[in-house]
Amino acid sequence: MMGRRLRQMRDMRECLHVGPQLQSYLDGECDPATVRRVAAHLEYCRKCGLELAAYREIKRALATHEQPADDAVARLRAFGEHLAGAGPEAEL
Amino acid sequence: MASLDASRQAAFAKFVLPEVEVLYRVALSMTAQPADAEDLVQDTLLRAYRAIDRFDGAHPRAWLLTILRNAEVNRHRRRRPDLLDDPDVHLEHDTGGGPFDMVPPTPEELVVGREFDEVVDAAFGALPVKHRQVVRLIDIDGLTYAEAAVLLGVPEGTVMSRLHRARKRIRDRLAAAGLAPKQGGGGR
Repeated sequence: MMGRRLRQMRDMRECLHVGPQLQSYLDGECDPATVRRVAAHLEYCRKCGLELAAYREIKRALATHEQPADDAVARLRAFGEHLAGAGPEAEL
Repeated sequence: MASLDASRQAAFAKFVLPEVEVLYRVALSMTAQPADAEDLVQDTLLRAYRAIDRFDGAHPRAWLLTILRNAEVNRHRRRRPDLLDDPDVHLEHDTGGGPFDMVPPTPEELVVGREFDEVVDAAFGALPVKHRQVVRLIDIDGLTYAEAAVLLGVPEGTVMSRLHRARKRIRDRLAAAGLAPKQGGGGR
């Protein structure tokens, strides 16, 4: 049976490994093995869970930061559709 | 000749048109002015149209981002002084951290309100230019690390390092405002 102190040391090692992966995990940029390892750690580590929650909220706040102007996107889309429909003369 | 034009137009409609909004978002991140962003995307669309018959159909967004990047480089051959700084040294010594000096909030207590967003906005605005640019590309424009790396012409590891340090800077501002736990404390 694993002693309490030994378990604490193991958990701390996991924190050191998982901590730097949290942002990539949040961004969906980790490989499957890392995803499993991070997810398993998050099951019991409150500190890393709070850290992830903080980054998730930062990402959410940033995502709502700015929306491009609809009219500019519409103009560009029309320009692209004109290119797609009119062919080389559209370049003139 | 007519069939070449037809296939070119079909490929353009299939691969390029769905990416117009993303291109504009990215262009806004690359330029200071919306009008410049619009010009840049128009230039990119024209270049893409001319080159579409040489495109193999794989990873259209990455292909378009490369075109956009080249178009932007041509537009500004002389880089602005603030872009010559190495952004990666700016945050090097600002690692935050330190002991927990407050009772850590539960996830529910991480306030998701106006104050939180205001601190995020202020911290985002205070980031070095290139860090802010990477955060925009990933978190606002929705690019992957690989796509941002292609666009910026830097290794993916550089994108990741700038992004993570920038978010950590924002996170540390939140911690200083009592809106996030300070790093290095707490327990499981």
